[in-house]
Amino acid sequence: MITPPSWSSREEALLLVNAYLDAELDAAATLDVERRLKADPALKSEYERLVGLRASIAAHVPKSTATPELRRRVEFIGAPEVSVEPRVPQQHRAARRFDWRQLAAAVVLTAGLASGATYLGVRPGSQETNVAALIAGHQRALLAAEPYEVASSDRHTVKPWFDSKLALSPRVVDLSSSGFPLVGGRIDKIGGKSVPAIVYKRREHVISVIATPRPGDWSGGEAATRASKDGYALLLWHGRDFDYAAISDVAEADLDAFVALWRSEELAK
Amino acid sequence: MTADRQRQRFQEVVLPHLDDALSLARWLTGNVTDAEDVVQDACIRAYGAIHTLRDGSPRAWLLTIVRNTAFSWLAKNRPKALIVTSDERVFEQAGMERLDRSAVATPETDLIKKADAEMLMTAIAALPLSYREVLVLREIEGMSYSEIAQIASIPVGTVMSRLARARSQLIERVVRANGGKASVA
Repeated sequence: MITPPSWSSREEALLLVNAYLDAELDAAATLDVERRLKADPALKSEYERLVGLRASIAAHVPKSTATPELRRRVEFIGAPEVSVEPRVPQQHRAARRFDWRQLAAAVVLTAGLASGATYLGVRPGSQETNVAALIAGHQRALLAAEPYEVASSDRHTVKPWFDSKLALSPRVVDLSSSGFPLVGGRIDKIGGKSVPAIVYKRREHVISVIATPRPGDWSGGEAATRASKDGYALLLWHGRDFDYAAISDVAEADLDAFVALWRSEELAK
Repeated sequence: MTADRQRQRFQEVVLPHLDDALSLARWLTGNVTDAEDVVQDACIRAYGAIHTLRDGSPRAWLLTIVRNTAFSWLAKNRPKALIVTSDERVFEQAGMERLDRSAVATPETDLIKKADAEMLMTAIAALPLSYREVLVLREIEGMSYSEIAQIASIPVGTVMSRLARARSQLIERVVRANGGKASVA
């Protein structure tokens, strides 16, 4: 609370009238101002103008409201360190040693923050965030006329296509002899980042293999991690220079077989 | 503090005040799009600095970070907005002249009450940044003088004089705008 030293000037009188309006004066000063307002018509009309201004601002100047998008972006802050990993359910404990999710979530976070991308409406902080992004890419592809942008059963066509589009060259393996013909490639957006997606078929089902570049070394041989959402099954694994995700609605056993073949091909190289 | 606890505390502290943070940033940057960038940046800083929040008001703590982030943003993107020129001194003089004028009761009071949203928002936007900041913290955010002093890193006496001048300037503009309309009509 403010105690005025004296009424030394007109300016000071007005500062105190403002402070009176804002209920910032102590009891003695409040009484003093009230006495002055009664005795001084000019000061009184100044005070009334201030009251009018305050009422007009309150009536006409709206508060801003954060959009759900901004709220989501803020809720997501700090997510990769905490909410992606420790909330992995017990039955997927293996995933704790597997930093694919963390990496992908970090990519999603960084790219999302930079670009203002939405997180596909998925609750932020959920371990499913990047899984959801991967599935969304696959689903979008299924809705298109064809689930690929370059159609080719020849890996020597698909691989250079990625190279020319993204300057990335993920492993493209040929599994047609095992019943998983290569049909082409496309580019998916994961967290605002363009990544190669290699497209295979299993009878009438589409299998997408999404390759996310990963810096760092590779020991090979780690077990793939399983996830599922909205009826799609995913297998996630580390490869040489890339982290891969295979997504499909084929039977789980088929997807397991596909990934096992795919990885053995890669190891054979 | 564990990472989990840090994030939980961040969300408890920041999310309830996100609209306030955006309102302040909107008036400091001048538009909502830039304000959203500032708020997001401020929230990232707030997350990293959550341990610096002690017993004080979380809202004042957050608004301080938003305010400082907005000023950094302005320095980078709108350097001219931060320059306090002699214009401001001239303006302060003008403000005081107006304050010194002894006015009796005039129709001005009615004109102020008739101010519309556009007129008011234009007038607020036209205030010098240092006055606008104090006015918005007081009238839009409802902060006390001591909180404003803390947020803007200025003495309470400066809060008082800037607020009085900001209001005088607004009244001046609104009366002029409305008076012009009245004389046309």
